[in-house]
Amino acid sequence: MPRTLTRPEQQPGQPPQRPTSLRSATPHRPNVLSMMVRGARGRPWTFSIGCAMLALILLILLLTPWIAPHDPATQDLTNRLAGPSPEHWLGTDHLGRDVLSRLMWGGRFSVTIAAITLVICGVTGIVIGALAARRGGWLDELVMRTVDVLICFPDVVIALFLIAVFGTGYGTLIAALTITGWTPFARLMRGLALEINAKDYVEAAEILGSPKSYIVFRHVIPNAIRPVLAMGFLRFGHKLITVGALSYLGLGVQPPDSDWGAMLLDAQPYMERAPFLGILPGFAIFVTALSVTMIGQGLDVRKIRRKRALAPEPPPGVQTQLEVGEAV
Amino acid sequence: MVSFLIRRAATLVVTLLVVSVLAFLIPYAGKGDTARKILRARVNDPALDPAQVEALTKELGLDRPLYQQYLDWLSHAVRGDFGFSYTSRTPVHDLVIPALGVSISLALAALLLALVFALPLGTWAATARGGKVDNAITFVSQSSVSAPEYWIGPVLVLIFARYLGWFPSGGWDGPIYIVLPAVALSLRPLGYFTQVTRAAMSDVLGAPYFTAARSRGLSYRHSLARHGLRNSMLPVMTLFSFWFAGLLGGSVVVEVIFNIPGMGRLLYTSVLNNDVPVIQGAMMWILTLAVLINTATDLLYGVLNPSIRVASHA
Repeated sequence: MPRTLTRPEQQPGQPPQRPTSLRSATPHRPNVLSMMVRGARGRPWTFSIGCAMLALILLILLLTPWIAPHDPATQDLTNRLAGPSPEHWLGTDHLGRDVLSRLMWGGRFSVTIAAITLVICGVTGIVIGALAARRGGWLDELVMRTVDVLICFPDVVIALFLIAVFGTGYGTLIAALTITGWTPFARLMRGLALEINAKDYVEAAEILGSPKSYIVFRHVIPNAIRPVLAMGFLRFGHKLITVGALSYLGLGVQPPDSDWGAMLLDAQPYMERAPFLGILPGFAIFVTALSVTMIGQGLDVRKIRRKRALAPEPPPGVQTQLEVGEAV
Repeated sequence: MVSFLIRRAATLVVTLLVVSVLAFLIPYAGKGDTARKILRARVNDPALDPAQVEALTKELGLDRPLYQQYLDWLSHAVRGDFGFSYTSRTPVHDLVIPALGVSISLALAALLLALVFALPLGTWAATARGGKVDNAITFVSQSSVSAPEYWIGPVLVLIFARYLGWFPSGGWDGPIYIVLPAVALSLRPLGYFTQVTRAAMSDVLGAPYFTAARSRGLSYRHSLARHGLRNSMLPVMTLFSFWFAGLLGGSVVVEVIFNIPGMGRLLYTSVLNNDVPVIQGAMMWILTLAVLINTATDLLYGVLNPSIRVASHA
């Protein structure tokens, strides 16, 4: 595995030739899209694999209405729990429904719910974290104490609490995952924002008289986007697993809708007769979560490596900045 | 240090008060009044006798102002008295305490199992950084982080309980019953512990004191054990206590799969049965312990690492 840095100005073992003061006076605006497209340069091999896996999964889920071989709800009670056949590639479930089609349609629910909660959590956390760092004082104190507390609440317990009060439903599901889910983003964003706030270009903007909110949205958030994006990918896997867990408990996605977690629940009584029925949906969750974890950790590596390259004694290799997971 | 302690204590008290208000309000948030809900949970009859409802409302003091009811409830709650379960009519206390014991042993077993594998794996990966071993260990840790318990659990049952018959498929009757659930529960912490150990060890290996220890003539192994383990233990212990707090109520799925009478399953069944006092009691215990454990960890961290006390705590 060649691990050389591909940036031409960076010689291994030497600090890069870069006028740091000028650099820090110029806002660095990474383009997220081009960042993704520029791809795997200098990132671990798992990053490219993760991207390929995720792209394939998303493509399949996107095209499901056209490429799914059967209707996911059509029952065929004469052909229950059948093994793989040319007609049903992955067999049929306890009601004779086509497993492949159900996996594809179910995945749309799992991935969409996880993505929606993730976006809500991400945006909330970013804005709150950045504002807390910018304003400081009592607001900062309040936000960080709230984060300290919420971050240690297990999210399944919070979900059970909300379900006890409001009953099941998509609103409850998304709310349950959002209440604690924004906190890691806020904590990360606040830390990054404190660093960025000390930069010359922020000071320049302040001297020019830019309002605080303008500075936050124009300078602070865009410059923190890479680590936040990395955490977003890491959290996506976690969300996916939690959504599946609630569905598996019968409290998430409700019939007639069905996601991967609900499919696992349906398969439980038939684990011995049709083991694949209880393995495939879990495998789908696993593969999707693995792909985003690989991408997230791969994205994180570049940042660390660059920081290391600027340090006086750059030790070789990478280090993973990790957001702690929560128990399910 | 004193202001740090005061701030922590204040946060703790405010949190617990907020949580207690929320827990208290559970029965009032939904539709219908409490007395009807209790009766409905006891008798399976949609048409309730109005006189019975009236009598129960009086008996439970539900006609008093809300804040009075709350203070009354709170004064009992701080003494660990959450009333009686609607369904089984046993004191909530008698349900929660044994369940808590079960969950603590399960969580400890799972996390210790994870730690036993994660420390050597993480250290190995850090010493072989960038190599094949490192890549393999990173891949394994990423995989184990992505593997849902409700997928691994049933597969473990299928293989080790049904096909091989080595372990019981569920229940809680002795040490052997803890094995499969602990393994299923340990996978995700294992991945996180490995990654954190690797990151912390990498820092240690690049640190001047490690070079100094080596140059004093200490063997690589000895330096690693003396300086490496000790310095990388702090982040690992933080993560450990974080997971421990989370698993006390958060291992719902594993407890349901393996039919273990722990906190998670208690909370789950009480939600299904709409058994409000048990939900309240379980919630309060789980969240209080989570906050207490994490506060204790922060304090311990401050004691073990003096630089935290001086630095502004994020």
